[in-house]
Amino acid sequence: MVEQTIFPGAEAAELVKAYKQRHLRRIGLVIGAAMVLSCLVVLDVITGPANLSFARTFQVILDPSIASPKEQVIIWKLRLPVALMAVTVGAMLGVAGAEMQTILNNPLADPFTLGLSSAASFGAALAIVLGWSVVPGVGGLFVTANAFALAMITSCLLFLFTRLRGVTPEAMILVGIAMLFTFNALLAFLQYGASELQLAQLIFWQLGSLARASWGKVGVCFAVLAVVLPYFMSRSWALTALRMGEEKAAALGVNVSLLRMSVLAGVSLLSAVAVSFVGAVAFVGLVGPHIARMIVGEDQRGFLPLSALCGALIMSGTSIASKAITPGIVYPIGMITSLIGIPFFILLILGQRKRHWQ
Amino acid sequence: MFLGTKICGFLGAITASAIVIAQASEAQAEALTVTDIAGRQVTFAELPEKIVLGEGRMMYSIAPLTTGNPFEKIVGWKDDLVLYDPDAFRKFEAAFPADTARLINFGNPYAGDFSIEAVLEADTDLVLLDVGNLFKAEETGLVEKLGAAGVNVAFVDFRRNATENTVPSLLLMGRILGEEKRAAEFIDFYIAQMRKVTNVVDGIPAEDRPLVAIENAAGWQNDFCCWSFGPYNFGRFVELAGGVNYASTLANAYSVDISLEGLLEADPDHLIGTGANWIESRPEVSSILLGYEGDPAVNAEKLQALAARTGFAELRAVKEGNMHSIYHQFYNSPYHFIAVQQIAKWLYPDDFEDLDVDANFKELHDRFLPFEASGQFWATLE
Repeated sequence: MVEQTIFPGAEAAELVKAYKQRHLRRIGLVIGAAMVLSCLVVLDVITGPANLSFARTFQVILDPSIASPKEQVIIWKLRLPVALMAVTVGAMLGVAGAEMQTILNNPLADPFTLGLSSAASFGAALAIVLGWSVVPGVGGLFVTANAFALAMITSCLLFLFTRLRGVTPEAMILVGIAMLFTFNALLAFLQYGASELQLAQLIFWQLGSLARASWGKVGVCFAVLAVVLPYFMSRSWALTALRMGEEKAAALGVNVSLLRMSVLAGVSLLSAVAVSFVGAVAFVGLVGPHIARMIVGEDQRGFLPLSALCGALIMSGTSIASKAITPGIVYPIGMITSLIGIPFFILLILGQRKRHWQ
Repeated sequence: MFLGTKICGFLGAITASAIVIAQASEAQAEALTVTDIAGRQVTFAELPEKIVLGEGRMMYSIAPLTTGNPFEKIVGWKDDLVLYDPDAFRKFEAAFPADTARLINFGNPYAGDFSIEAVLEADTDLVLLDVGNLFKAEETGLVEKLGAAGVNVAFVDFRRNATENTVPSLLLMGRILGEEKRAAEFIDFYIAQMRKVTNVVDGIPAEDRPLVAIENAAGWQNDFCCWSFGPYNFGRFVELAGGVNYASTLANAYSVDISLEGLLEADPDHLIGTGANWIESRPEVSSILLGYEGDPAVNAEKLQALAARTGFAELRAVKEGNMHSIYHQFYNSPYHFIAVQQIAKWLYPDDFEDLDVDANFKELHDRFLPFEASGQFWATLE
C-alpha cells in the first residue's frame, strides 16, 4: 500500500490513463452537445410562419443592410432574440437545477423547489391583477420587475430562515415548501379577483412564453450567466466533493454552509431572471441536469456545462416545436417543454444499468 | 237613449274589467315555462320580481328591453360594468342614481361563484347567468342549491355565440321581464340593423373578401402581440361584415394567440383592435379608450402609439390607413350590430357609403335606452 503511493507502478499509470480518457470523453461530450445546440439554434432561426429561405436568412444576419424592412423585423427583432433567449434561459434553468440538486442533495430539486416560481408568479399577478409595482419607475416592464423582485425577496427570506435554523438541506426544503404554499395561496386570491383579460394574461404568463423576448432581455441573461457560471465552475471541485457526502466534503476542507449559501445565491439569481422573463417553465431545470448526469456522471467539470447545454437544448427544441405545431399561433412553452424532453429522458432511464443517483 | 248609452257604457266597462281580471288570474294560474340558452326548461310560477345579474354588463340588454326604469326588478349584480366599462356605468348612474347605489355587489363575474346566502337574503326570484358559467355553476352545485331554495337560474349568451344567441336571449329576457312587446320591438330593430349589412355582403364572392386581423384588447399587454378571436365573437362579426377573419384560418377556437411574425407574413388588409376605458382600473394599459366618454383627440394619439409598436409599421394595413379600433364591449352586448356595420363600412366603403352608423347608434339610444349617445366608439389611424 505504502510502496504503491511512493513508487507509482503500472496500476497507477493505468489510473492516470483512465482519468485522462474520462477527461477527454467529458470534453468530447460537451463539445458534441454544443454542436447539436448550434444546429438547433440555426433551425430555430430559419423556421417560422414567414417563408424566408435558409440562404436569405443567413445573408440578412451577416449583412442586415440588405434586408427589406419586413425581413429586418422578422429576423432581427423577432426570431433572433427568441432563439437566443431560448438558449440562455434553458442554460440558466439547467445550471440552476443542477446546483439545486447538488446543494440540497435531492434528485427531485429544481430551480423552483424553494418556492421561487410561485413567488415570481405572485409578483406577476400583483402587477397584472392589482396593477401594483413593487419596483418603482420600471414602466411597462413592471410585470417582469415584480416577478424578479418577489423571487429575490423570497430567496432573501430563505437565507434569513436558514441562518436561524442552520444551513441544512432539510431546513431549506421545509422553509421552501412553506414559501411555495404561502405564495400559491396568495396567487389564488388574486386569480379569484381577476377579470377575463387579466386571467388570460396571468395564465399565459404562468405557462411561459418566449414571445416577449427582446435584445435587452437576452443581454441581461447573458450577463447573469457570465457572472454565475464561471463562479460555479470555480467551485466545481467543492461541489463534486459535496455530492460524496457532507462529512467527506468538510473533511476535504470545504466550508459546506458557506458553499450552500453562495451557490443558493447564484441559483436564485439565475432562476429569478429566467422566470421573470419567460414565466414559470417547469421540467427544464429538473430533467436537464438528470440527462446530463446520466450522460457524463457526477463530476461537476462535465456535469455543470452539460446541464447548461441540456437545458438549452430542451428550450431550443421547444421554441422550434411551438412554432411548428400551427404556424402563426403562439403556444405557451410550459406545455411543450415536457413533451420535448421526456422521450429522450425515458430512453436514457431504460438504457441505464446502474443507479445514477447515489 | 242617453240613459241607454250610459248603461251600455257601464256594462261595457264591467265586461272589460271582467275580461282583464279573468286574464290576470289566468296569467297567474298559468306558469311561465321558458327554454334558456343552455337548453334548460325554466318554469316560473309567476314573473320574477327580484333578479340578480351574473354580469353587470347584462344591463346592456336589460335597458333596451324595459320601458321604465331598467333597474326596477334588479336587486344585485357583479362589478364588471363598474370596473371595465366605467363610462357606461356613469351613464346608468346619472340616470338612476338611487338604483345603482342600492344594488348588491356580488363581486367578480369571472370567479363564477355566488354567495348563495346573499342571494337568498335578497329574496331573489331569479339569477341570470352567462352561459360561459354553465359548467362552473353545475359543478359547484349552484343551480341545484338555488333551485332547492326556490330560486330559478336562467342562462343567456351575448358573447360565446353572440350573433346566434342574441335573439333567443333577448326573447327569453323579454318574457321573463314581462316586456314581450318591447322585446319584440327591439329584436325587430336588431334584425333590421343586422340585415343592413348581411343583405349587401351576401352578394360579395369569397375571393373578393379582404383579410382582416382582430387584435383583442390591443394595448392591454405591452410586450406581447396578439390575442385574437377565432370564428366567434369579433371573428364572427368580421365574417358577417364580409371579411375573412385571419385567426379563423388558423384555428377553430374562441380565443387564438397569434404570433407577430405570422401576422406580418399574412399582412392583412385591415387590422382592427378592440379597446375600452380600462385605464381607470389599470393605469398602465395603452389601449384605445373607446366608450361614452371617449375623446377622439386622445384616442388618435393612442392609436398612433399602438401603430408604432415593434413590427407594426411594416404592416400594409398600418401603411394604408386601415388600422382601426372599436369598442371592446360590443363583444358582450346586443349592440354588436354597430360593430358589424362599422367593420363593413371599413371593408367596403363604396358599398356602404349610405350606411350611417352614427345615426343608427343614435337611433338605438333615442328609441331604446334611458340615456343619450355620446363619446367615441370606433376610430381609424390617421
